[in-house]
Amino acid sequence: MNLVAFSRWLESTPLSQVIQTTSWAIPGIQVVHILCLATLFALALNLSLRVAGRGLAIESSRSLAGRFVPAMGVCLIALLVSGSLLIIAEPSRTITNQVFYIKMALLVVAIVLTLWLGKVARSEPEKPTRLHVAVAVLCMLVWTGIIVAGRYIAYYIT
Amino acid sequence: MSVAEEWFPLVESVHVIAMAIAAGTIFLVDTRLIGLTSTRLPFSYVSERLLPWTWVAFGCSVLTGTLMFIANATGYYDNIPFRVKMVLLLLAGLNMLYFQKVTFRSVAVWDAGPPPSRARLAGLISIGLWCGVIGFGRWIGFVIGK
Repeated sequence: MNLVAFSRWLESTPLSQVIQTTSWAIPGIQVVHILCLATLFALALNLSLRVAGRGLAIESSRSLAGRFVPAMGVCLIALLVSGSLLIIAEPSRTITNQVFYIKMALLVVAIVLTLWLGKVARSEPEKPTRLHVAVAVLCMLVWTGIIVAGRYIAYYIT
Repeated sequence: MSVAEEWFPLVESVHVIAMAIAAGTIFLVDTRLIGLTSTRLPFSYVSERLLPWTWVAFGCSVLTGTLMFIANATGYYDNIPFRVKMVLLLLAGLNMLYFQKVTFRSVAVWDAGPPPSRARLAGLISIGLWCGVIGFGRWIGFVIGK
């Protein structure tokens, strides 16, 4: 089965039909997706800042990572669920869209970098190294790229 | 494609990123205010470290939002979700102003401990209003006329 056929099949599933025919469903799911992305982005920003020795610096980086990394995990799960529902509702927007695959590739990179930052934070380095700062910056750039790619999906529907 | 159409996705992307930083940091400060998160950190410290990010990001949101508005002013003006969003933004500003001028004055008493119910209420109202701002903001795109 090729991607177009898969997309057509997905579109015909009962779940897809329910979401498509419920007028508020797609905007509603999108709003949940946006609220979760805002929370995750702010948490990522503060984790990155803390690893770079800034932000909420009176809290130990170990304690901050212990609070923020699991919270980011919860946001990510909500993003994956809401994102999956959006794909199921309108597969033709994403399944055959190159920008969507760029977004997913960036997501994998962001998760790896975030987990690494979490590990660094838990080890409580005395001073941030250049590598820590560089990865913290890179991590925020990748999360930013994910948001940009997410918005561009709407403009590259084939 | 007109110049406005070419630039619109980019401006929109910056708007979403700025919104994410603004709303995300507001949620972190508000949940501290309610007493749900960062309870081991003084409230004044959390707000002092996060709100500069909120303000810069909010400034970028206003700037990019204005650019989007200029590209289709009559469309936005006639758009009900847009009007509701602006009212909610105003209410969020008033809630914050009241908190800063009245409730925050006694911060020394509750900075490290559990916040008073007035402070918690301000945090809850703020979260509700910002969810509304984002919700109606997304809704604009579904009903806007060209």
